[in-house]
Amino acid sequence: MIRAEPGRWSAWSPGLEEPGAWQRWCAAPAPLALEGQPDGAFLPALLRRRCGPLARAMLATAFGCGDEGELARAATVFASRHGNINESIGLLERLAEGQALSPTRFSHTVHNAQAGLFSIAAGNREASSSVAARESTFGCAWLEALTLLARDPGRPVLLVMADAPLDPIFAVQVDEPGGFYSLALMLSPADGGAGLGFSVGRSRDAGPRRAWPDALEFLRWYLSGEPRLELEAGRQLFVWER
Amino acid sequence: MVNALGRGAEEIWPRLLDGDQSRFRLRDDFVPGRSLLVGEVSGRLPAVPGRLSRYACRNNAMTLAALEQILERVEAAIRAAGRERVGVVMGTSTSGVGDAEEAIRERRRTGALAADFDYAQLEFGGAAAFVSEYLDLGGPAYTISTACSSGARALASARSLLELGVCDAVVAGATDTLCGLTTNGFSALQAISDEITNPCSANRKGLTLGEGSVIFLVTRQGGGIQLRGVGESSEAHHMSAPDPEGRGAERAMRAALADAEMAPEAIAYLNLHGTGTPLNDAMECAAIARVFPRPPACSSTKSLVGHTLGAAGAMEAGFCWLVLRAGSADGLSPIPHAYDGRRDPALPALPLVDKGLRVPAGAVMSNSFGFGGNNCTLILAAAG
Repeated sequence: MIRAEPGRWSAWSPGLEEPGAWQRWCAAPAPLALEGQPDGAFLPALLRRRCGPLARAMLATAFGCGDEGELARAATVFASRHGNINESIGLLERLAEGQALSPTRFSHTVHNAQAGLFSIAAGNREASSSVAARESTFGCAWLEALTLLARDPGRPVLLVMADAPLDPIFAVQVDEPGGFYSLALMLSPADGGAGLGFSVGRSRDAGPRRAWPDALEFLRWYLSGEPRLELEAGRQLFVWER
Repeated sequence: MVNALGRGAEEIWPRLLDGDQSRFRLRDDFVPGRSLLVGEVSGRLPAVPGRLSRYACRNNAMTLAALEQILERVEAAIRAAGRERVGVVMGTSTSGVGDAEEAIRERRRTGALAADFDYAQLEFGGAAAFVSEYLDLGGPAYTISTACSSGARALASARSLLELGVCDAVVAGATDTLCGLTTNGFSALQAISDEITNPCSANRKGLTLGEGSVIFLVTRQGGGIQLRGVGESSEAHHMSAPDPEGRGAERAMRAALADAEMAPEAIAYLNLHGTGTPLNDAMECAAIARVFPRPPACSSTKSLVGHTLGAAGAMEAGFCWLVLRAGSADGLSPIPHAYDGRRDPALPALPLVDKGLRVPAGAVMSNSFGFGGNNCTLILAAAG
């Protein structure tokens, strides 16, 4: 398996915006806030109006991972378990009321809406994938990023993973760590023993209920300097090694 | 494979070759006040087993209808590789949203969701998790959802998982089902034609929606029919409309040719994205005319099965697979381009396939372009 080196990273959750705040959070994590959105000043006004809180969070962290040239030339993986499903549920409620749908709102419910908005905002014309895998979403998104590194080895891959709290109608059916967050990492292929190794297998059991989303468990490990991270996520066991 | 033309390659292939447009149906229960022509899968679908009842939605039942057709070969591959070495990549843009619509209507009537509705039906990741749990696989299982290029991307990722050495076999494909969300959404976008879609016609007025599922067993085995090229691009243009010049489409086709290490002349047949919307067909034909000094035989199969959205990229790769399987060193029979015959003089004159046409043997290309500006072109070829 090829190894990947995270270059710049950027994370956001309401009230946790600066790298220093994330260093402190990783050392002593506390429950994440559920609502808010990052400042959208980095977006042109027209796009800012198109970006709901989740898109704004994903784009803000993506833009924190490189300069204009780097953002335009990276391949991208946008991952989210729930994505824009809250917006889809809103449209389903409208349908149930017999109301017409807004074409713009409909076209922004696709799972790759954030990837599309990023492509427009960053002028990025490269390969882009959007992934969902229930409890295993972050590990599978890492794997999908490796597939893009393998297809075009000279090109970094920008991996963005985010989730907002699921609509209460369905949240009662989903046992997961709460909170609204986004994490973005610029991954490059690493030679020899550099970067992070990765493997995936079947989980031994469902794993302990985690306090924090996988992406942030990964960030805590990455900043900790520990040699190995094992995440049992749904039916999958993901392992990262330095 | 399952779609409006039937179930299984043996039933669908002759109807494709015949340009059979007889199977579209009118549905007046999707969009209020509108009778909609759709490419619907008729008849009963297999039951999702009780142990997987949380996944029991129409989308997963459709997947099962396709998977059952190749189950023996899939199980042989699982025995050979071991359960831990077999992965799943599924494409979908709808997942079980049709069942969620019913659950939400029920909630409005009774105050509670339908008892048999589980969020695992609605979330995109459920499409791959269902296949993995049905087959009891231990390899990675994930869903790719990039709108109308989802299915093509699922096959691209399956190939990469083999190349990375993560899996020795991948069950990969895509499923989309007709539902209120997509029919009303595309209707609101004024993208749906009242008649069967008319790709590349001067009279084209939009797309016809369809549904279906196609599942491939992807392995490293030589021989057979191979996924030889993958080309990808983003549009950086608009969320629901392609760049009118077709520059993103052009980049995807050129990248697929480069990945396959093929010259444009190696392509014998091109399955168009060909949605029948004024803008798609104009930009796609222009892009093809730039990539190919002498364009290959082209057809859109969306006027035969409808636009199956998230499934379309894998479905049409499946059609290309059928063209190659029926072909030989003597040549290929590409699928006819069914339309009203009123070629749009404003479009570059591509060689649209007439029924019965034979072309020299070669590779085949399939284009898929999605909302969010996500493009993926695949090239398939017979080994040897």
